[in-house]
Amino acid sequence: MWTTALVSGISLGSFYILIALGFALIFGVTRNFNLAHGELVVFAGYVSYWLWKVLAWPFVLTFPAAILATLFICLGLQRLFARLYEPQELNSIVLSFGMAILIQNTMLFWFSGDYRLIRIPTLSQGLRVPGFYLSYGQLTLLFLSLTVIAILYILMYRTYLGKALRATIQDKEAAAQAGINVAVMGTLAFCLGAILIGLAGPLYGCTHYLYPSTGHQVTLLAVTITIFAGVGRLGGIILAGWILGLAESFAVILCGASWREMVAAVLLLTLLAFKPRGILGKGEQ
Amino acid sequence: MKTTPENHQNFFYFFYKCSFILFCLLFLILWTEISFAATIKIGEINPLSGKLAKQGMEIHQGVEVAIAEANEAGGVGGKQLKLISRDDQSQPDVAISRAEELCGWEKVRALTGGYVDSLVGPIAAVAKKYRIPYVASASLQKELVQYENPYFFRVSRLQGFTEPLCGILTERFKTQRLAILHSATPGSTELARDLESCLKANGLEVKLIEKFRPGTPDFTPLIAKLAGMKIDVIVSGGFTPDHILMIRQLKENRVSPKAYIGPFGIAYENFMQTMGEDADYLYSTCAWNPGITEPGSDATSKCFVKKFRQMFKQQPNTTNMHGYTSAKALITAMQAVVNKGQTLTGDNIRLALTQLDLPMPMEHLVFDQNGDPLHYRHVVVQVQKGRLVVVYPPDRASGQPVFPMPSWEQRN
Repeated sequence: MWTTALVSGISLGSFYILIALGFALIFGVTRNFNLAHGELVVFAGYVSYWLWKVLAWPFVLTFPAAILATLFICLGLQRLFARLYEPQELNSIVLSFGMAILIQNTMLFWFSGDYRLIRIPTLSQGLRVPGFYLSYGQLTLLFLSLTVIAILYILMYRTYLGKALRATIQDKEAAAQAGINVAVMGTLAFCLGAILIGLAGPLYGCTHYLYPSTGHQVTLLAVTITIFAGVGRLGGIILAGWILGLAESFAVILCGASWREMVAAVLLLTLLAFKPRGILGKGEQ
Repeated sequence: MKTTPENHQNFFYFFYKCSFILFCLLFLILWTEISFAATIKIGEINPLSGKLAKQGMEIHQGVEVAIAEANEAGGVGGKQLKLISRDDQSQPDVAISRAEELCGWEKVRALTGGYVDSLVGPIAAVAKKYRIPYVASASLQKELVQYENPYFFRVSRLQGFTEPLCGILTERFKTQRLAILHSATPGSTELARDLESCLKANGLEVKLIEKFRPGTPDFTPLIAKLAGMKIDVIVSGGFTPDHILMIRQLKENRVSPKAYIGPFGIAYENFMQTMGEDADYLYSTCAWNPGITEPGSDATSKCFVKKFRQMFKQQPNTTNMHGYTSAKALITAMQAVVNKGQTLTGDNIRLALTQLDLPMPMEHLVFDQNGDPLHYRHVVVQVQKGRLVVVYPPDRASGQPVFPMPSWEQRN
């Protein structure tokens, strides 16, 4: 029971990370609070579902298509965000809230209100390890999430581009004065965000279910983890995702399923009380 | 300003133009009033967007069929029925404002529709304020009929679920390792509580009762807990998405209970298509289905199916039937008022509803003094090879239950 909870917590946490990274990256670099993030994840899932179910594409090939679709929308969204006046954060909330409703209703119109599943028989098979059963679906989720985290980590902390992105996250004006093209960094953040969304969407349809209005839950999750991690701290997101996933899993085992959200909320509030700059925050600068 | 012939002409031209526009507006208002006076307005509030959009749209379709049938038969007292639909966006505060709009501004004669108690409750309160009868399409919470609201009626009730479930668990399954999981909604919580009391009274012990939030993203830890406790039978009061995820993760973790019963959201064509073979052997309850009707109502059931298919080019389900039944009850009550030569006031329609005795494909509709349907009762069904088979009560059974259901390994 405990091993299952541990594996489930890490697996769920890794998926949380994948969902939150795109949101955190876009918010960190551009200061745009994208409330349509969850709807975009669900939309990417629907694109994948449609290609897999209607056009009978192999599931793996639907990932690039979903990425392309979200890339197209994200770049359009960036154009809209660029037209906003200060205060950027507040105006972006209003704009993206409208976008979220628009995307949600478009999905309702196109894909109807039926629940959709991407069912890959191979992924429901798995390995019987002493004490628990590990499905290939869980393994794929874990592997893909960890790979994406590793690639993003290398990009952000081992390349010049990553250094420029981090500099823009820390201080946009100082970065611009140092010769970094912050507008290009913004576009890059949206592109990376779109890729992450395009990866998360099909996985969401494969491990959960697709329904037009589920997007707001995903957005809420991304916002929670970003606050938990501390704005602009990508390393913190990885830690926050796993802590949240494990806390939720063990809360169900120890206290009951109804305590799941309560434990997550208490964790977040405690953290905000003692470390308001997030889990890896270093206090006032 | 200097007075010139041109200015005079301009003034008169302007005056004529304004008068013409005013006349057109007046004509439009009068025409609208006259055309509406020849119709009877019925209000309908459903979640047509948001998380309950699917169910709301299904209720709406059922209501539309009842209205279309009535209008084709000549309406009520020679007047056509006009359905005014509003979307509550799956939010109680929006439901209140829509009900206020329909009762206060649109002046509808009666209200129908509504899915889940959190949305039906606020609409019922507004209906009471305006003294307008409201026949809710899908509501379960007992508390709602205890507010002494004489204008509130509904076509479903909780006992309709509890009695057959308690029956099959105590008479057929007789398991001592039972878990009841329920969603954190009023109806589901009450179902869990009532079912536990009934099972206890019949000598069965419930090993675990767990509440979860609708739309929980991961059931794996809960499944591990159930497996650790060696639970045989799971009764889950979640809705369709919760069942989808739960079944998916039960399979992923190779946890095979002897029976999985989901009273809400499984006995649907769409659920079975979405889940494919994984839906096989699951138990649910059903009030009506094209193949499962109240004894003696085959002909009316077929008529409804035919009309529904003609209008929407798809097979109706139990939620559609709930919408149809509630609207049909309202229309029949209105017809009774007109037949008596009375005017269609809220109080007259309410009185007619209290005296209603209407055989329907889903139930023989008679309301008790609280507005609850006296004869609303589900049957227990099991999905067998993609089809719903009635397995309880014995007098309506069309097949034998497969118990225990085969393990996931046996199915592959």
